[in-house]
Amino acid sequence: MAIALAVSPTRMELLKLKQRVGLAQKGHDLLKEKMDALVIEFFEVLRRIQEARMKAFDQLSVAHRALSMGFAVVGTLETKQASKETKRELQVEISTRHIMGIAVPAVEVGEVERSALVRGYGLHMTSSVLDEASREFERALKLLIELAELEASAFAIVRELEKTKRRVNALEYILIPRLREALKFIMMRLDEMERENFTRLKRIKAMMEKRE
Amino acid sequence: MSYRIAVVGDQDTVTGLALAGATYTHIHTTNEETFAKLNEFFDSEEIGVLLITHRVAEELGYDFRRMVRTKRLLPLVLRIPDKTGYVSKVDELREIIRRTVGAEIMIKKEGS
Repeated sequence: MAIALAVSPTRMELLKLKQRVGLAQKGHDLLKEKMDALVIEFFEVLRRIQEARMKAFDQLSVAHRALSMGFAVVGTLETKQASKETKRELQVEISTRHIMGIAVPAVEVGEVERSALVRGYGLHMTSSVLDEASREFERALKLLIELAELEASAFAIVRELEKTKRRVNALEYILIPRLREALKFIMMRLDEMERENFTRLKRIKAMMEKRE
Repeated sequence: MSYRIAVVGDQDTVTGLALAGATYTHIHTTNEETFAKLNEFFDSEEIGVLLITHRVAEELGYDFRRMVRTKRLLPLVLRIPDKTGYVSKVDELREIIRRTVGAEIMIKKEGS
């Protein structure tokens, strides 16, 4: 049973409380709808993550295999050297998008794959195996960045979901029951006062009749 | 705004992703060094995506998880498998779902 709020049992207070219950109820319904919408959105993102993750991780292991070939053919030191010589200037555009008031990152990746000529490492000393490895890694990187965007959105949505859920529960299990309890208390109290008054009047009437 | 990519991981992962164009890299050796580098990455205005291998993330443990939780919107942090395909057994996202929804949720492909 909920603990009633401390209220004075007056008609004025009763009216105010009724209004508050109405408001709380409306807020509760709205939040609950928001929660449902968030859950739907969340599952959609989750499904996409699952797909993206599989694709990205597969590509990454392909890339690693290609890189091992590079290590074997070109040599470990030369490969590392090449990785330092490459132009490492990949840029991604990140802005924020809003899904139902939640800031969610929106990432835009341009063309990640480059031709061997613009990569920037020396072409004599290296081999086409290394170009192959770089290309596979470029593909993997693109997929990974897309995955990062999705995961970040999922985290943002889930955080909002948690907050909303807490609010819904606070309204549903704490505030609204308390208000209702207070409402009941006032109503009982007012009824009781009315009955008291009624008996008082009766008694006075009886006394007056006796006197006559 | 355009941002750059940072990678933290083992030698092979870093080499590969550097070949692909990741600007900032760090090869994990000791936790202290990596934390120093990570702090730098997290404070940087330039970095939009941080890739870190599961193995390193696991080794950094709780402090790293707290860093990720308390970061700003950027950089986006993504854990990736390393050369051996190692993926942490504890899936962050799944953990969070379990806490929020209160139930394990498995998404299966349609038809399977």
